[in-house]
Amino acid sequence: MGEVILTMKNIDKSFPGVHALDHVDFELKRGEVHALMGENGAGKSTLMKVLTGIYTKDSGTITYEGREVEFHNTHDAQAAGIVIVHQELNMVGDLTVAQNIFIGREFKKGFMIDDRKMIQESKKLFDELHINIDPKAKMSDLTVGKQQMCEIAKAISHQAKVIIFDEPSAALTEKEIEDLFAIIRDLRKQNLGIIYISHRMDEIKVITDRVTVMRDGAYVGTLITDECTKEDIINMMVGRVIYEDPKTHSMVPADAPVVLKVEHLNAGKMVQDVSFELRKGEILGFSGLMGAGRTETARALFGADPKTGGDIYINGKKVTINSPEDAVKNGIGYLSEDRKRFGVVLKKNITENSTLATLPKYMSGLFINKGAEKEVTERYIKELDTKTPSADQLVVNLSGGNQQKVVIAKWLVRNCDILIFDEPTRGIDVGAKNEIYKLMNRLAAEGKSIIMISSEMTEILRMSDRIIVMCEGKKTGEISIEEATQEAIMDKATRDIK
Amino acid sequence: MENIKQNPVVKKLGFNRIILFCILLLMYGVFSVIIPGFASMDRIMSILNYTYFLGFLALGVTFVIATGGIDFSIGPVMFCCALMAGYTLNTHGAPVVVSLIMSIVIGFCFGCFNGYLVAFVGVPPFIVSMATMNIAKGLGSVFTKTQSVSWPQGNDPSGKGWFRNLVKVGDFPVGLLIFAVAVVILYIVMNNTKAGRYILCLGSNKEAVRLSGVNVRKWQMLAYVICGALVGIAAIFFVGAYTTVQPGLGDTYNNEAIASCVMGGTSMAGGLASIGGTVIGVLVISLLQEGIMALRMTKEVQMIITGIIVIVFVYADVSARRRRN
Amino acid sequence: MTKKKSIFTQEVIVGIVLVALYFIFRTISSDFGKYTTFLSMMDISYYYALMAIGVAFPLITGGVDLSIGTGMICYALAGGCLIRFYNVPTGLAMLVSILFGLGIGLANGVLISVMGLPPFLATLCTCMITRGLGSVVTGSFAIPWPTAKQDNGWFHSIFKITLADKTKLPLGLVWIILLMLIMQFVLAHTRFGRYTIAIGSNKEAAILSGINVKFYHIMVYAVSGLFAGLASIAYAAVIKTVQPGTGAGMELDAIGGAIVGGVSASGGYGTIYGTVIGAYVILFLKQGLPYIGFNANMQQIITGFVLIGAVTIDIIKRKVIK
Repeated sequence: MGEVILTMKNIDKSFPGVHALDHVDFELKRGEVHALMGENGAGKSTLMKVLTGIYTKDSGTITYEGREVEFHNTHDAQAAGIVIVHQELNMVGDLTVAQNIFIGREFKKGFMIDDRKMIQESKKLFDELHINIDPKAKMSDLTVGKQQMCEIAKAISHQAKVIIFDEPSAALTEKEIEDLFAIIRDLRKQNLGIIYISHRMDEIKVITDRVTVMRDGAYVGTLITDECTKEDIINMMVGRVIYEDPKTHSMVPADAPVVLKVEHLNAGKMVQDVSFELRKGEILGFSGLMGAGRTETARALFGADPKTGGDIYINGKKVTINSPEDAVKNGIGYLSEDRKRFGVVLKKNITENSTLATLPKYMSGLFINKGAEKEVTERYIKELDTKTPSADQLVVNLSGGNQQKVVIAKWLVRNCDILIFDEPTRGIDVGAKNEIYKLMNRLAAEGKSIIMISSEMTEILRMSDRIIVMCEGKKTGEISIEEATQEAIMDKATRDIK
Repeated sequence: MENIKQNPVVKKLGFNRIILFCILLLMYGVFSVIIPGFASMDRIMSILNYTYFLGFLALGVTFVIATGGIDFSIGPVMFCCALMAGYTLNTHGAPVVVSLIMSIVIGFCFGCFNGYLVAFVGVPPFIVSMATMNIAKGLGSVFTKTQSVSWPQGNDPSGKGWFRNLVKVGDFPVGLLIFAVAVVILYIVMNNTKAGRYILCLGSNKEAVRLSGVNVRKWQMLAYVICGALVGIAAIFFVGAYTTVQPGLGDTYNNEAIASCVMGGTSMAGGLASIGGTVIGVLVISLLQEGIMALRMTKEVQMIITGIIVIVFVYADVSARRRRN
Repeated sequence: MTKKKSIFTQEVIVGIVLVALYFIFRTISSDFGKYTTFLSMMDISYYYALMAIGVAFPLITGGVDLSIGTGMICYALAGGCLIRFYNVPTGLAMLVSILFGLGIGLANGVLISVMGLPPFLATLCTCMITRGLGSVVTGSFAIPWPTAKQDNGWFHSIFKITLADKTKLPLGLVWIILLMLIMQFVLAHTRFGRYTIAIGSNKEAAILSGINVKFYHIMVYAVSGLFAGLASIAYAAVIKTVQPGTGAGMELDAIGGAIVGGVSASGGYGTIYGTVIGAYVILFLKQGLPYIGFNANMQQIITGFVLIGAVTIDIIKRKVIK
């Protein structure tokens, strides 16, 4: 580790109604990998956006290479040598790899873009990083992992001195993560400063030198990775006890009937021969790494994507599900991981969203019975404690947690017996999270059956009665809650990866 | 200003729509002052003639735009309906009722064709419109052997002119009555029925509606079918007022219908539609065209003004939305 | 890693279709094979091809330009007026026509890129406005440009020259091919072209890469307008008298040509040579079908179905690959 390259001091930033950053300090040295940790909404991304000029800070100072700086946009930051590798990839799918890496600063020969030189330079970059990617390949033909490598190559080609990785491993396979770590170690050797944002504790231990923890927009502390334990970091992140103890035993009576049976479900590469049973009143956790095929299984089961084979039985009777319409008719409801795209209709109000799946029930003759519709919506607003001035509020104006409650209300209005919760608490703040958990427990107690897909281990251990683990499109294990440990789950989630 | 906008009544009616309505009144005032004899019953009847057919076209396309799609084949399709039905009436001696129904059915079929291609095959609406435009023009010409078709006059000895009573009886504007009833029905369809609800929701987020277990393709297609049937009705009112249709024309009416719809606050992005706004938009354009004619200027001047009004209203809408975000 | 690319791209298929169409028409109709038919078809093709080349750029950004048809007439009227009523030299009048087109294109660009109007609406409005302007400028009179035999009618020879032995050569075809190559080069090998594709493929990413997207977005429409201006000259050279109030619908044939020629209707992909070939396919159908015994109006219906067919094949192809 070398001298300090970047210091952020007393950074303060407020948005209307939110104190996003509360006098945060951060320091980065040359040749170090510095983890930035914290829960969703802790302020990590905001801090990085202030650093790269996307947001303007209200107060505080940023010192970079000994000078006080203030960037006005990402371009300024890039020019100074601070680049960010985004969580959502920012690639132009219709251009080639080389064209993407040098977009906005193409080599020119007179009027012409010098594509040959760009390809050569890209090759050189890839060689340095020991990556095998064809610079002439079209970007949209690459896997997500390779696209990420291109992003990194692009960052390095900017003569970067500081590289920020924003949850880089989220979409990668185990093998790709190893490649990524090799690159990061390489960069560290070249004396670059690296900020690494991640939720994965094990990665932090493997790759980082120091950890800075944030909570609720405030700086909590900085630790040296080798000298601390996972528990130390978790304690700093959590601060107060919000996680209840893990479930110790299943809440489902031994004689509870099987409501859903899935046999040999197949749908493309991501769903291979998946079979499982779901019992009445059970919360069945689906665990696994990103890209294990859990969401794909749920979508195929729900009829959202075509399946190539498999039988589905509901209450012992074989049913055909070829579209979401069929699934809903059979009493299945699906809460997508991507609420804004697949869950709610943002431009419409809460009432219209709540009855979207049940509209035929709220018709009197040809017309929508708006009175009854409003009544049921208001009932669920109260029951789920949705925070909104009225049922006429547009969903776009609600917070993430409240949007999720609107989606839940949609399926409760429909009175579905089987609910699939796909990452039910993603992007939701801590308080609302607990409410969603309570709600799920209540629903299960009332006799609903729940499939819960989650990437958060604590969530899986806290909520599930039984856990199914998937890996690379296959079911790799089924663990009762009594036997479940993080290690046991992780072992199955990574079993096939060498 | 901001206070006015926040007023619940204004919010409900829509600020832009109120402004548009004021412009309508203002225009009528100005025309009445500068054109002698403009404020007469005759003029109003003449304006209404234009309102009827353009109104049905615009209401139809409002449904399509609500789904986030577009249909600019409606003008030529309207002419195609009028040509084919009129030709059957004149040359093959079909009863008037049959011809009228035929007109609506042809429009309906075009709607099904467009809707099927967009919703089930997945062809972009823009392309479908372009293709349908060609097909409608060609079909109209082929069917009538490239001759214009004149529908019977009101005093036609065969007694076939009775359909003109749909437009007016003496000085009584029957058409206004029919149009008003249609507006009320379509308002209810858009705001109080399953069809309208699904059309608006899928215009805003099709995938979320599909994942709620709704057969989105069916409802998306329905929007085009409604539009098609209304275009067939528009054709009846067109010939009821203007008698003659020529093959190969009708393009300008697309633009006017889409313009009135957009001025009235229906968003091209889909999900937001206002039947009332469309009606005001149609009235503005009808009034404008009558005024321009009375001033002995060409239709082209009217187009310039329409174009500018649309730009102003859409810009106001776009920038208001930007500020909110 | 990279998929093996089929050589049967949309462009190649459409090229084969074009050649096939020509020979089918020739075989069936001896009239179609005549040199004069070929000449008159080429005459008509120039302004369509020019419009198509121009409009390919907005289409590749995922937008559209509906103002090129009425715009072309408007610019031709303006230029003609200058020659007729103000004795402006032909060359200068041509320049004015072209610059007029460029100006309207810039206006479209500002409406779309800076003011944020949807491209369809913005250009629909300028379509109406240019159509109106054409009439207002000329007082609704038809405007003839000088004929080839008149002194200031030299511009005709840009597109068609008569040799000493009275044979006429379609020189315009050379210009079309030249412009096609230049614009293909611009699309594939200059920043402007690359950013055009980037805007159509992923505008957000383009902005985040520090590209001045607003500027390039305006330029895209300026190019479209510029080519509509060039088309107005080609139009005036072929159609003796320019009528105000016409031109609506011509843009759709040009856009249709681009789409048939493989430009993605949702943006992000397209080639200029494909566009030009597509435009000629549409033209061949329009002009050629009557020669082989189809009712002149049937060709419109067939053109409609060809358009849907081309796009549907593309959709199916993409589904199969997935």
